Amino acid sequence: MSRILKAIILCSVALVLLVSPAYSKVDVVKIGVIYPLTGTSASTGNDYVAAYQLAADIINNVTNIDFPFAKTVGIPSLGNAKIEFVPADSQGNAEVGKAEAERLITTIKPAALMGCHHSAVTKTASQAAEQYGIPFLCPDSTSPALTERGYEYFFRSGPTDNTFIEDAFQFIADVDKAKGTKTQTVALVSEDTEFGKNILNVEKDLANKLGYKIVETITFANNSTNLSSEVLRLKQANPDVIFMAAYTSDTILFMKTFKEQRYYPRAIIGQRAGFIAPELFQTIGKDADYLFTTNVWAADLGVARPIVKTINDMYKKKTGKDLTGDYARAFTGAFVMADAINRAGSLDPEAIKKALLETNLPGKDLIVPWEGVKFDQKTHQNMYGKTIITQFSNGSYKTVWPLNLASTPVVWPVPGWDKR
Amino acid sequence: MKKYTVYILIAAALLAAIVLPRLLPKPFEKHVLILIMLYSILGSAWNILGGYTGQVSLGHAVFFGIGAYTSSIMLIKWGIVPWVGMLVGGVIATIVSIIIGLPTFKLRGFYFAIATIALGEMTRTLFLNWEWIGGAVGLELPIKRGDKLINLQFYLSKNNYYYVLLGIFLLTILAIYVIQKSKLGYYFRAVKDSHEAALASGIDTARTKLVAMGISAFITAIAGSVYAQYLLYIDPYVVFSSAISTRICLVAILGGEGRLFGPIIGSSILVILSEYSRAWLGGGGKGVDLIIYGTLIVLVAAFQPRGILGMVEMVKAKRQKAVVPNA
Repeated sequence: MSRILKAIILCSVALVLLVSPAYSKVDVVKIGVIYPLTGTSASTGNDYVAAYQLAADIINNVTNIDFPFAKTVGIPSLGNAKIEFVPADSQGNAEVGKAEAERLITTIKPAALMGCHHSAVTKTASQAAEQYGIPFLCPDSTSPALTERGYEYFFRSGPTDNTFIEDAFQFIADVDKAKGTKTQTVALVSEDTEFGKNILNVEKDLANKLGYKIVETITFANNSTNLSSEVLRLKQANPDVIFMAAYTSDTILFMKTFKEQRYYPRAIIGQRAGFIAPELFQTIGKDADYLFTTNVWAADLGVARPIVKTINDMYKKKTGKDLTGDYARAFTGAFVMADAINRAGSLDPEAIKKALLETNLPGKDLIVPWEGVKFDQKTHQNMYGKTIITQFSNGSYKTVWPLNLASTPVVWPVPGWDKR
Repeated sequence: MKKYTVYILIAAALLAAIVLPRLLPKPFEKHVLILIMLYSILGSAWNILGGYTGQVSLGHAVFFGIGAYTSSIMLIKWGIVPWVGMLVGGVIATIVSIIIGLPTFKLRGFYFAIATIALGEMTRTLFLNWEWIGGAVGLELPIKRGDKLINLQFYLSKNNYYYVLLGIFLLTILAIYVIQKSKLGYYFRAVKDSHEAALASGIDTARTKLVAMGISAFITAIAGSVYAQYLLYIDPYVVFSSAISTRICLVAILGGEGRLFGPIIGSSILVILSEYSRAWLGGGGKGVDLIIYGTLIVLVAAFQPRGILGMVEMVKAKRQKAVVPNA
């Protein structure tokens, strides 16, 4: 064998020996986050990504706040490896979401995936994760069906539509008792995509079960240009309370049409989405007063818990906007994931899945008003997720229910247009 | 070109198409290949009506969705294998296409295109509110492991989806080739060139258009069924979206409408462009990928409306012209 050949072999052996320890040490923990970064939900998607980046900032650096992972660098059990949330664009499309999930899994080799805002996208993207055996944590989609599929690697930290709607009915019962009113009739109004239809089904079931009379059910087209006849039907049915699930532009149009036709029921209770979108208040201003919506987060939670305000201020500094229920949930999900990976002490999907199953975070470590995070061993749905009811006044949503978190007394029944 | 050169070329292309997925190990690359094949089929199907017969449809998602829904419903409700559901879906789509065609073929040119857009939107609204087939909540297909061909679901290797689609594509191409050479093919082109002249030569133009639409709808629906089996989840916004209708039409026009191999060229370019630009630039959230994608389509439409194959022919013709005076 020639001397050169020997030298080459020796060098390559040395190189392999030098390089191989680096492989066993983890430098970066990558988590793929799939959101609609272009299209009609683009601004929402990008604000989600900002929430993940804020979480990464807190985890990766020493931050002087009283919060998990703030005082340490990276993931302590993995040699202070940094966490990185790698965004991918779903375009709000189920096929694209699945393709992106698959691409992330096979290229950047993420420890886990998270996302995806739209329930339909979460459905297909988590299918890919299940197939490859990669943990998928969904902090935000609310369709109950997601955790009823019996998937092994799918977890959801946020509450489902069932919880939101059950709590909304509980709120009505509580406020009826406190104010001496009697709510008997409801109208259910939903837009026509998966989001609205799911909510409508749950609302119907619960209203019938609890003995409320449904006087009108309306399904309207997503992105409508005219809702006059829908409002007219509501006016004629004259329900005590209207339940409404709508995205931003439809919510704005509904509110404008309500005012035009001088109609307001005892209360309008929205289901997040359009009702918590900043564009709503920017467009209709004071007409948003007294609107109710189910929620998971409101800025006034920071009155009782300063850490909530601190995190919101950090987010505002980064994006110029307040957190909303959506972004607060995603931020929380990021910490649920970091906690699981830290306890797993490895990037092995099985270890992370096991750690997720053993998750038991107390409510004090969260910025959302939940009892904590602990997953049901069978469905992998967080059992301690809670929702709140917020009412709009003085330019922002204030918590009015449950009473132990309420910062502002509830206005009930809501004054009509002529009494404002 | 001599005849045997053509055969060699075809054999080489076929071999390349068969070997290609084995050379690309990453699932994302396979996903891209599957989409290319899917849109090649859809573009070819559209070509029968739009390219050869000259009736531009912007509502082909209707047939795509019918195919996807028929096989899925039959599988979920009655446990019927998707291969049977696929054929039933094709037949239903053909019947629907004839029902749609009867009134809309009275419209010419732009008006027919506009009518098909409206039909696409109507069908989506109908499916959104039809509770029996899942409505807006959509359908999740039952997962069948074991990669059996009969179930048309493959987990261990996505290659199989590609080969199924390749088979359908080859059958489609063969069918179109036969039609092209037949009397029907000449009828199609006659209708495209001049409706009045075709009528004057005794061609039943209304029937010819219906036949073209029926064949086109049948193939589109078959592709829809495979797509449902691939995605394993469908809802009206997924399979009836106007974006699918537009893309089907784009694939055929970009490659060169009315040409046998136009759609596969168009779909290769369009799918690779959209998938890879998103993969590289999509995470930034600025929509750069979509801007590039859109710009290229505009460029082709503006400078070479006859599509890529048209461009190739133009270059060829120029060369021949340049050669002649010297000789």
